[in-house]
Amino acid sequence: MSVHDDHHHPSAWGPHDWSHGAPHNSWSPLIMSVGIGIFLFSLAGVYKWGEMVDASSIAIVFAGLAVIMFGLSVFWRQDITFDGAYEPKATGTPFRGIDIRKVSVWIFLMSEMMVFTSLFSTYMRYRFGIESCKSVFESGDWVEGTSVTCFEPAGHLISSSWFHIAPGAINTFALIVSSFTVVQALRYAKKVDIDSDRRTKLVTRYLGATTLLAILFLTLKMIEWFIGFPLPEFLAEYNHGDDMIKSLYAEGYLINAESYQHHSYDTVYLADHGHGLSHDTELYAMMEAGNHSGGQMMANIRVSASTFYVTTGTHGVHVLGGIIGLMYMTFKASRGGYTPENAVSIEYFGLYWHFVDLIWVIVFPFFYLY
Amino acid sequence: MAHYTILGKDPYWMNFIGLMVLTLIEVVAVGFELPEERIFVFSNYTLMVLTVVAIPKFIMIAMIFMHLYGEKDSGILTVTALFPAFFIIIMILFIGLTHPEATTGLPAWCRPGTY
Repeated sequence: MSVHDDHHHPSAWGPHDWSHGAPHNSWSPLIMSVGIGIFLFSLAGVYKWGEMVDASSIAIVFAGLAVIMFGLSVFWRQDITFDGAYEPKATGTPFRGIDIRKVSVWIFLMSEMMVFTSLFSTYMRYRFGIESCKSVFESGDWVEGTSVTCFEPAGHLISSSWFHIAPGAINTFALIVSSFTVVQALRYAKKVDIDSDRRTKLVTRYLGATTLLAILFLTLKMIEWFIGFPLPEFLAEYNHGDDMIKSLYAEGYLINAESYQHHSYDTVYLADHGHGLSHDTELYAMMEAGNHSGGQMMANIRVSASTFYVTTGTHGVHVLGGIIGLMYMTFKASRGGYTPENAVSIEYFGLYWHFVDLIWVIVFPFFYLY
Repeated sequence: MAHYTILGKDPYWMNFIGLMVLTLIEVVAVGFELPEERIFVFSNYTLMVLTVVAIPKFIMIAMIFMHLYGEKDSGILTVTALFPAFFIIIMILFIGLTHPEATTGLPAWCRPGTY
């Protein structure tokens, strides 16, 4: 750092001359805030309980996205020249001497932690506060043709077979590998004993791999939510005789599902498929005594589906944000933009990316498996 | 980068392998039908395994990948990272003390069918 002189940063649209201190005149944060505001506000008006109610707002949604992208382009235009010449340090207690960017990322991550904590606590509260559909079914406190309100965890559907678990399990491994690849990118960006071409190649390769893994994550999530996938015929018998792994959408696991049906809540299906209804249940006793006619239970699962989609969707949005950042960073790396002097930029992005992995460590077992 | 090793090996590699193994345990635990009985504070064995495995995974990512261990500023950043936990404990404590039923029963307005 030489002299603090804002006259060397004449444009708020960048690029900056970083050798003259930290620039204070970027429009990027303001533009992105406005864009995110427009995007979220208009998106909230498009759908109601999963049904599109105002198609005209879609244009405003895209306008919001365009403003966000414009803000990002301003930010990237300013960052692309950042070579680590100026890295401001905190001067006050308790963070004295630590990079301001590092402290900022941690404080941002803690605010994110509060967001996810509210989502997890909502899930736990509803999960343990509303009787599970399995308990309601086995209690016999239902009549075929009438919907009952109960909590149906997505994990019940997903963990019903190895094939349903597969996308989530692969995603878990993908995120762990991507956490490792971003650390490797940082390792090689910081290495001083390699020539710059090799450094550029390795950092680009590892950041590119991280990007691909993140894209794989969202692709599998889309398959799991909306598309499903076919099974070879010889594997169908392990999937209740069905040669298609249905998406959650096709299974009817939706935020507006008021009459959700699943084969494990169907006495006829259970009788036809060998294992039958457990003899320890009240429903079995009632059916034996002729007090319950059995059949298929219908459930209102709007609360359980909402908690699942909002939490996993919020996490997915964070992955999407990571992909956008990674694409830029991979581009910058390919131009030799990362050196030992400014490698901490990868570390600070890595903190965010590890946090996304950290959240998945909680989401996967408790939303997908349990 | 890390200035230490785990069992004489690179900590990031060791962490990566450890996380993969723990995730495999999670998936296998769900694949096998574990007893549905209550154990300690957990409603069944599967939940216990998932919780017990998730805790070290969480710590391993935070400590090693996020450098909350082994760096000169790790201490103050760990305290920063734990700050939300402080708020969460205070929040739960005060809700529990002022509205004891709030921790065990959902109020009517919070139940499905009232929105």
